Amino acid sequence: MSDDVWVVVPCFNEASVIAEVVGDLRSKFTHVVCVDDGSTDDTAAQAVRAGATLVRHPVNLGQGAALQTGVEYARRRAGARYFATFDADGQHRTEDLVVMIERLRTEPVDIVIGSRFASADTAKPPWFKRTILRVATATSRHARQLGLTDTHNGLRAFNRTVADRLDLTINGMGHASEFISLISENGWRVTEQSVDIAYTPYSRSRGQSILNGVNVLTDGLVRNRMRR
Amino acid sequence: MIWMQLLLLAGFVSLVLYLLVSSDRAKVQAGAKLAFAFFIVAGVYAVLRPDDLTVLANALGIDRGTDLLLYVLVVAFAFFAVSTYLHFRRLELDFGRLARRVAIQEAESQIAPPEDQ
Repeated sequence: MSDDVWVVVPCFNEASVIAEVVGDLRSKFTHVVCVDDGSTDDTAAQAVRAGATLVRHPVNLGQGAALQTGVEYARRRAGARYFATFDADGQHRTEDLVVMIERLRTEPVDIVIGSRFASADTAKPPWFKRTILRVATATSRHARQLGLTDTHNGLRAFNRTVADRLDLTINGMGHASEFISLISENGWRVTEQSVDIAYTPYSRSRGQSILNGVNVLTDGLVRNRMRR
Repeated sequence: MIWMQLLLLAGFVSLVLYLLVSSDRAKVQAGAKLAFAFFIVAGVYAVLRPDDLTVLANALGIDRGTDLLLYVLVVAFAFFAVSTYLHFRRLELDFGRLARRVAIQEAESQIAPPEDQ
């Protein structure tokens, strides 16, 4: 059991799967913090029953805001040295995260990002989504500079250096690109870990619609103007 | 027509710059108020003496004063839309931070306080 790791799981109306996801994480990590982003179903109660710490947004803010909340809560906890972000829909594998945390402990890196494209033999997203993700990565200046292959993966593990300075300002889905920009701007040492994604009917149904890409692009465009 | 086209294009270019270049909030607000005051005065004048508007339009290479008015309105509306969008984005960010603090305080009130802060 890893006592110095805090896993942040942003969740919004995930009552049917959250208990299983938290339970699985808790078999390897003591601290799992679920940020309930104003769910209207039983998500919060299910998460607590499965052993997660609950932080609850009074209103729905978006996944980026939930991640930031979870990290801010976790970095205030005594003894927290490593942090992770993990999607609530059950598409990530706990074993992948265990490997990523181990790399943080042993290698000279600040952050390890999960990638669906780093290795040839991991499960790939459906072709249309794959194309969109490829384009998103190819058009990201920061991703190119850092040599990253997957900018929109919810599985990340990082140390205190990153957690202490993390300040996501994009509340919605555009936070994934913002995360990459922050890595580049702060000069954090980054590496990728090839991870498997379970594309179940459930996680597919919860996936992002392609149209949301428009929102992601505009969010990124005006991000610099939002800086104080 | 060429002068008017240049003017309008300049208007749109400055709109994009306004969107992309981070700037001093107080200055922007003051600028918006001045522009608004000018807009009101010019509007009143255009209502009272519509022929003058046509003279101005002709000088800029446009036939009718109403066309000039329309073009200026389009640019002004675009400015309004963008500044409103930016304003809401900032409010969303502040609102999110507020909600975050509430959420964290609520969660921490149920456990022992953090040691280091």
